[in-house]
Amino acid sequence: MLSEVRVQIHSPDDIVTVRQRCRKLAAQVGFSNSDLALIATAISEVTRNIVEYAERGEVIITPLQNGTRKGVKIVASDRGPGIADIRTVMRDGYSTGTGLGIGLPGTKRLMDRFEITSEVGKGTTVIMKKWVP
Amino acid sequence: MTVAALTFPQQVEESYTKALEQYLTEPHESALLRAYELGREALDRGLGVVEMATIHSHAIAAVQNRPVGEDKRAELLEAQMSFFMEALAPFEMAHRAFRDANTALRRLNDMLEGQAKRIAYSLHDEAGQLLAAMHLALAEAARLLPPETAEQLATVKDLVNQIEERLRNISHELRPPVLNLGLFPALEVLKEIVSKRWGLPVSLSVSLHGDLPATVETTVYRIAQEALTNAAKHARATQAEIDVRQTAHKLVCSVRDDGIGFDADDTAARLRRGLGLLEIKERVAAMDGVLRVGPNRNGGTNLTIEIPLEG
Repeated sequence: MLSEVRVQIHSPDDIVTVRQRCRKLAAQVGFSNSDLALIATAISEVTRNIVEYAERGEVIITPLQNGTRKGVKIVASDRGPGIADIRTVMRDGYSTGTGLGIGLPGTKRLMDRFEITSEVGKGTTVIMKKWVP
Repeated sequence: MTVAALTFPQQVEESYTKALEQYLTEPHESALLRAYELGREALDRGLGVVEMATIHSHAIAAVQNRPVGEDKRAELLEAQMSFFMEALAPFEMAHRAFRDANTALRRLNDMLEGQAKRIAYSLHDEAGQLLAAMHLALAEAARLLPPETAEQLATVKDLVNQIEERLRNISHELRPPVLNLGLFPALEVLKEIVSKRWGLPVSLSVSLHGDLPATVETTVYRIAQEALTNAAKHARATQAEIDVRQTAHKLVCSVRDDGIGFDADDTAARLRRGLGLLEIKERVAAMDGVLRVGPNRNGGTNLTIEIPLEG
């Protein structure tokens, strides 16, 4: 039985830890190498945001099972400044200015489910899921 | 050699090689994170997937100096692959974004075409009927009013006529109303108009099965109209043919004529044709299609569009 993994985020070094632990869990769940690379990218993007805008936060990775389907759920939360207008940050090219679809909108496309909630002054939470194809 | 002397791709290659070597020596997550960051930066700075593949193969060549035992070969290959995939993951994000944007653009295009169709209908039919009613009301008023007002009434009537003409033109610009009959009948009407107005005989061959999106119909009609107008008015053609074919995945429309082609055209005609063609080219490009214009075998002009169809 796989159990959830919690990683506290304080510094950019924690991105390595969170990727490593997520990769291990996702590999045990049954994801292929190419999916592992995409999941690692998604988790790096959300963790980067915590480091960059909130300084500290937490990422929780949970194995999922729904009948025979298996997957992972990633919850990244922080108590940072929050985002006033989520629609703006979810627009391609908002954070990078290049319109290349990296950052949060790009992350959404790598996962099967992506939800973001935020309150100004309280923090931001991203919940995402991916199922083994 | 100093670092400053390296170009950006060279800098990426250097860092990439270093991180790959590190990963192959000791497979740690920090090297994979480096691969992802390098990929992300490369994407941001405008490098493409092919350049990344080149960088990867150079890096492989650079780190493969050490001999590897048979037993380790598969493991090494897999590690190289994992590392490469990390670097490519940001490009996957960009690729998916591009795909989504393209879908959105197509939808927007169809939506605009639908909107144009509704506005065209509203202008042509609804406003047209109101203006017709206004003509009748004016005639009625003319009977009741003293003869001195005849001149003013004539002015009003003239203005109403002008409005009617304008609305008809705008409606036609938005979407030729004849397309409401369907593409094939619309092209037959066009063929009739061209042969009557300019004495240019046109042969029409159409093979369609299933409904086409409104945007595709309008584009095919416009290109046929544009090409035939040019053939008749500027290229002094004596005959023309339109060929429309729908296959499983695309629609091809070619218009050929036996006119004098491009070079002998006067500048004004070229300019007119250029503007019309430019608009068609934009329309075709928005649908992922291609437009080709060139001489055909017997010296006239051949204009072909190919538009991919969904499903």
